[in-house]
Amino acid sequence: MSGNRKEDEMICALTAEEYAALQAGLRGLPDTMPPRKVWQRTREQGEAEGLLRSRSVMRRPSSWYAGVGIAAAALVAAIMLPGMLERQADVTTVPDTTGTTPELRLTALQTLMRESRDLESSLRALPNAPAVQRASTMATIADLEDRIAAIDYQLNDPSVDLSDEDRELFWRERVRLMKSLLQLRYAQAQRAAF
Amino acid sequence: MADMSKFADIDIDPGIVRRAAAGDARAHEIIYRAFASPVYSICLRFTKVPAHAEDLTQETFIEIMRSIAKFRGEAALGSWIRRIAVTKALMFLRSAWTRRGQSLADDWSDMTEGDALSHGISRHPDDALDLDAALASLPEVSRVVVWLHDVEGFTHKEIAGLMGKSESFSKSQLSRAYQRLRPLLETQADGQQREGAALSC
Repeated sequence: MSGNRKEDEMICALTAEEYAALQAGLRGLPDTMPPRKVWQRTREQGEAEGLLRSRSVMRRPSSWYAGVGIAAAALVAAIMLPGMLERQADVTTVPDTTGTTPELRLTALQTLMRESRDLESSLRALPNAPAVQRASTMATIADLEDRIAAIDYQLNDPSVDLSDEDRELFWRERVRLMKSLLQLRYAQAQRAAF
Repeated sequence: MADMSKFADIDIDPGIVRRAAAGDARAHEIIYRAFASPVYSICLRFTKVPAHAEDLTQETFIEIMRSIAKFRGEAALGSWIRRIAVTKALMFLRSAWTRRGQSLADDWSDMTEGDALSHGISRHPDDALDLDAALASLPEVSRVVVWLHDVEGFTHKEIAGLMGKSESFSKSQLSRAYQRLRPLLETQADGQQREGAALSC
């Protein structure tokens, strides 16, 4: 699919303008999300075929005192986090914490949570979405919001026993999606302003 | 030509891909949420039947679960997933064509010149619904070729390989589809100086 090869190919029956209009039109067609049941069915088949590890298998074997330790760490983080956040300067880079200690991972998690919160604030500060929007932009925004909601659901599902590593992964993905959403909404606001 | 496919716009953290390769259901759900929409859309555009598109979407993601451990990251994840979805959809269409005893080349035979405009298509090229309807009104093979070539950026050679046909077959299908779609696009050129004649084949 290299550029040269494509340029060498023929654009039959259309002028260059018509071809450009067709391409732009086709690429602007909105995507459609499949019904929710599709993921449910896919997941069930994946589990039945042994392609997915079920929740009980994914849980790392841990003794009761390890659980108490994690709970205590979470409690300390909940108490100390607001104060820590006020003192911290703006930090936007997320360190790669693969293979690091739980303490460092907790710090990375806090950084991600704070970054996510900042992004939420920035998003709220933007003017409301314009009344007239491009269908493709609306679809992309809805898609990003759906993906963020899916992550939030995972993070808040009390029946899911997330490890620190899992939690960090989900928060990192959430921040990444929030940044995309913010960029899109910002561009939308800019367009509406002019 | 840059890869303008929607698949190319979706980025996934490599850590999530690694966890998916280990069979982590949550990582797979994130990948699903990210790519379900373009995968389902391409299947729906190819088959036009939501139930088929749902089955093909499921098959695509099951294939991803089976194969993601072999994904080395040399290509973008989106391109890899797109290739799986396209292959699944084309396999489905091929089997449908075989069942109907229909060859890939003859599905224009049922169409008349007025068909595109008789599918409720008006001449407003800015209206996505019209273009969507015009695309849907094309014969299956041509619709697939148009989408693969103009949206997903596949070359005629690649399309020929995917469909088990020649490059000239792909070019011919595209040319006929353009002729059918052209009335939709002419309006945009109206009122402007039309620079240059139709590009030659």
